[in-house]
Amino acid sequence: MHKTFLFILYSILMRNFLRVIVGIKYVNKEALKKSDPFIIVANHNSHVDAMALMSALSFSQLKKTHPVAAGDYFGKSPLKAFITRLFTNSLLIRRSKDADGANPIDMMSDALQKGDSLILFPEGSRGEPQKMQQFKKGIGIILQKNPKIAYIPVYMTGMGRILPKGETLLVPFDSYVIFGEPTFFTSRMLMQL
Amino acid sequence: MNIDKFLANKEIVFIILLILGILVFSTLLFFIWGKMKPQANLTELKLRTKSWWGMAIVFILAAVINPLISYFAFGLLSFMALRELATISKNVREADRRVLIWCYIAIPIQYVLAYNGLFNLFVIFIPIVMFIWIPFMLVMRGETTEIGRSMSVLPTQLMLTVFSLSHLAFLLSLPEIAGFNAGGRGLLLFIVFITEINDVFQFTWGKLLGRHKIIPKISPNKTWEGFIGGILTTTIIGYFLRFLTPFSEIEALVVSFIVACAGFVGDVVVSAVKRDIGLKDTGTLIPGHGGILDRIDSLSITAVVFFHIVYNLYYC
Repeated sequence: MHKTFLFILYSILMRNFLRVIVGIKYVNKEALKKSDPFIIVANHNSHVDAMALMSALSFSQLKKTHPVAAGDYFGKSPLKAFITRLFTNSLLIRRSKDADGANPIDMMSDALQKGDSLILFPEGSRGEPQKMQQFKKGIGIILQKNPKIAYIPVYMTGMGRILPKGETLLVPFDSYVIFGEPTFFTSRMLMQL
Repeated sequence: MNIDKFLANKEIVFIILLILGILVFSTLLFFIWGKMKPQANLTELKLRTKSWWGMAIVFILAAVINPLISYFAFGLLSFMALRELATISKNVREADRRVLIWCYIAIPIQYVLAYNGLFNLFVIFIPIVMFIWIPFMLVMRGETTEIGRSMSVLPTQLMLTVFSLSHLAFLLSLPEIAGFNAGGRGLLLFIVFITEINDVFQFTWGKLLGRHKIIPKISPNKTWEGFIGGILTTTIIGYFLRFLTPFSEIEALVVSFIVACAGFVGDVVVSAVKRDIGLKDTGTLIPGHGGILDRIDSLSITAVVFFHIVYNLYYC
């Protein structure tokens, strides 16, 4: 049921809306087919980001792919958390340390062990339009803990102009979602991190 | 169905068959050429052929099923061209993104005016109404730093992408003239075909004979030889295609000549805009995704020039 709902929402409505009206173009989308499960690692500038990535997924991937979102923002009230999960199939995690509850790293690892895929925005928040921020360290830990699961780097450009942080009006601009090739995490990368 | 009416219009059927013939020929040619010489870069030529196929299919569908399809197709083309121009333009401030919505809203209004054949409103809506409204909206945003630049850039973008292309749609709304069978559809085919042929021949003559550059800083490929060769070829082809228009022989020659010159103007103006931004092709941020503006650069000027010549000669 939820699967069909997500399919209609993303693969039919959202995909066409984003392509025709908003002007999002996908480059090298085939990378998604080469790996299952996967961890999408993308830059973050706008609420459109997750929508654009979800719209690129196939029917079978949609239900199994969870954008990882901030529980303290999207899950403020039970209603807001329910709506976020319903519409975006999100995995809500805590961003702050002190609150008790499940460890966000474990939550993400559990999902991956189940065979699900994740969409991660390692910058942590949208930040200023069209500017890249420093990555959070969680991304390194996740990749290191799950070296058998490929990650797909994704670079998105233009999203910060379509719907920047703090704006409510969506304005069409040409923008690109560029998929890199699926890659496996090695210890050499950890040194670089 | 309109199909019987469509087939009875011999002029249109003839030129559509001609265009389909050229398309099949060039698609095969580039395909075989690409197979034989894989190192030859045919991307640009292939993209051009692809967009021609799109145009031809839309045109035939509109003629056979419902003319409304053309208005939607041109409206969408205007929208995509404006979006592309707005994206690459570095002259627009972050604060202007909300005002850009007004530019997008102008598109359906302009095309509704074209569909209903409201000529007087159609010609003033963008050059007068939007030229007043957009600066006012910019002022209401309350940010005056470099506001003058935005005041001129935004309406000019509307002129280049929406005002110009909507004239192609308005051709289809022109009333019928006794004794002129091809009608607005014929005029539309004539101007699009002549413009594209002009592009192709200016390019080809330039490659074959080009020596003397006209404006090397803006368009290094534009030469006097290509320009003159293209204009002469276009004028001759226009003369033979005059069955699509109500023109006399002399009129066909003169109009084709003017259209060929206008095509050059559109080409170099868009080139200069691109140079200013530092892009060679408007949409090629990523290879293989050709820009829409590169397809319609000359058409954005020829459409307006041609429309007003025809209108003043035959529809006043």
